[in-house]
Amino acid sequence: MILKLLRQATPYWFLLPGLFILGTLLSVPLYKVIEYSLYDNVIIEPDPTFVGLQNYADMLGDSGYWSALFNTAVFTIGSVVGHLLVGTILAMLVNADIHPKARTVFRSLLILPWIFTAVVVALNWQLLLNPFGVVNYALQSIGLVSEPLDWLGDPDLAMWSLLIISTWRGYPFIMVSFLSGLQSIPSELYEAADIDGANFFHKFWHVTVPQLKPVIYGVALLDLIWTFQLFPLVWLTTGGGPGRSTEVLSTLTYRLAFVDFEFSRASTAAVTILGISAIFTMLYLINESRNRT
Amino acid sequence: MKPKMKGLVASVLLALGSSQAHAATQIEWLQWFAAEQNADFYDTIVEEFEAANPDITVKLVTQPFGKVRESIVTNRAIGVGSDVLGLNMPWTSEFLDMKILEPLDEYLARDDKGFEVDRLVQAPIGKINGSTWMVPLNAFPFVMHVNRGLLQKAGFDKAPENWEELKSMAIAISALEDGTSGIGMPFSSQPPANGPILTFLPLLYTAGGRIVDGIEPDFDNPDVVKTLTFLQELNAAGALAPGAASRTGGVDLEEFIAGRTGFLISPAVHARAIVARNPELEYELVRVPVLNKEAYRVHGWELGMAADSKHKEEAWKFISFLMSGDVNGRMAAAASALPGNLDALGEDSGEDPIFTAQRNILENDESVEELRQAPKTVASWSVMTEEIQSMLAGDQTPQQAASRVQARWLELLN
Repeated sequence: MILKLLRQATPYWFLLPGLFILGTLLSVPLYKVIEYSLYDNVIIEPDPTFVGLQNYADMLGDSGYWSALFNTAVFTIGSVVGHLLVGTILAMLVNADIHPKARTVFRSLLILPWIFTAVVVALNWQLLLNPFGVVNYALQSIGLVSEPLDWLGDPDLAMWSLLIISTWRGYPFIMVSFLSGLQSIPSELYEAADIDGANFFHKFWHVTVPQLKPVIYGVALLDLIWTFQLFPLVWLTTGGGPGRSTEVLSTLTYRLAFVDFEFSRASTAAVTILGISAIFTMLYLINESRNRT
Repeated sequence: MKPKMKGLVASVLLALGSSQAHAATQIEWLQWFAAEQNADFYDTIVEEFEAANPDITVKLVTQPFGKVRESIVTNRAIGVGSDVLGLNMPWTSEFLDMKILEPLDEYLARDDKGFEVDRLVQAPIGKINGSTWMVPLNAFPFVMHVNRGLLQKAGFDKAPENWEELKSMAIAISALEDGTSGIGMPFSSQPPANGPILTFLPLLYTAGGRIVDGIEPDFDNPDVVKTLTFLQELNAAGALAPGAASRTGGVDLEEFIAGRTGFLISPAVHARAIVARNPELEYELVRVPVLNKEAYRVHGWELGMAADSKHKEEAWKFISFLMSGDVNGRMAAAASALPGNLDALGEDSGEDPIFTAQRNILENDESVEELRQAPKTVASWSVMTEEIQSMLAGDQTPQQAASRVQARWLELLN
């Protein structure tokens, strides 16, 4: 009996080291951040005072927090829509029936933005969007603008510029995911649609999109989770400025922690990011389990 | 015991004994200096110290400037703080609030140190809360770097000496051709978002103004408004390089080195990089143009000791070594700065025109350092940056910008 139980428990023994490491690495920092958010003011004060939910109440009354939350929503939704649009179009293009060598070259080139680090992306785009940069030069040359635009320094343009940069950086993930989805759609469906006299848009809307639907939903949710908490690209490109026009929750958290040294308030903002990300993650997991069944 | 066994035991004991005898104390030195210069030079300095002090080893920890401040705070919070700290004067107030720094008075009073306290550059060693908290490794004034080539092309034969001349010359240089600008103003929000202290404060000090009254923010005073108005006038006249709100200090320096801006207000320590990177540039270093007071913002690289260091004696020995005449002189020369220990000034260094110009400024003009005692200094830079951005965009007047900074700065303290 005991031997049987031990034998049945064997797989769980193998899981233990991994569960222990994961649990320690995840639960300890998570617990500390939540704990910090209930004190005033940790790290700076040797004996911080327990203030309960006061930091949360203060944060809800802070217009800076709501502004950052709004910017985060704009940045996240804008980026994900940009990734989906550009990723879908490019996935269809690189799936086209052209010379295999040309197809390989295009696929390799188009995936490049994904492999650059945020620092490289930020620096390159800063140079491109500089008032004396290539973008302004091109726009002035074709007569679209008369004066150079300060893409990253004008509050009306900075968020749009960030969305362009974020779209450029993030579309390859969608492209690759959709490409694999496109390749798994049976060609018979397109042949049948051809026989029925369907044009390109009919085929896209009635064959491609329904077939890709599970991939689109899952990938979009995953992208949403990643983009929602994106920090380095925003911080290194605009620093949340000009003013606070591109301040998102992740940069606000960093600013509170490492510029203002308000670690409790930073932890409070971080916990809200965690909460919202957890909701997206739940949706993703529900979608995954639905796909499996 | 057999002879063989005896020999073995003796060898083991000898090995243990010798390892005990050579167990050196390790101290850690966190700084950004080596990141901005030749890292090998710093390794050599450390090796020299270790050779002279075989019982101490020094672990050199080099990080970018923007990272050091947060590392000092977070490392200390988790109990892995360094012993010797590279410091920036504006960090002083917040580090004192967090009790990070060790008072140096007792160490400075000792006779066996390698330098004289009254021969040190004085600004960093001024007492706060009754104690001295840091010593100056080197010192440099904020100056104006001038591209004489662009200046001559614009029809001027000498660098500007006052605000009016600066304005007219900057306008003329901006009008020269596409891509040239009179002067750059780095007011980007990107970290460390310190444009105001790089360019605005040096101008303010030449108007006799200050932003702090004792230890209280005092940003909405008439001198500040006058200086902000001057910036606004430069902007309106097209004298500023476009894109001030996205221009970082680094970009400002690079644009000057590339010969695209006529003037650059920045630390004199940048002179070496400018000359080395663009030897073709017709370059001159002058004092920041004056409104009514020949004054300069003094800056430098400082050294302090961690209050929770377990090796304070060793840490002090190392600081004392770095401050000693010969070593301090070489370190200052490597940074193109003046030594923190004025006894380290070389006789022959007077032949270098860049060095001579710096020395003249340091000797003849009033030095100003008010950020050591300013509260929430680093956070206040961001606030200044944001309000100046808004002013330059035409969204508010200089008076409104000054009032907004004052109100937001006070808010940070509550």
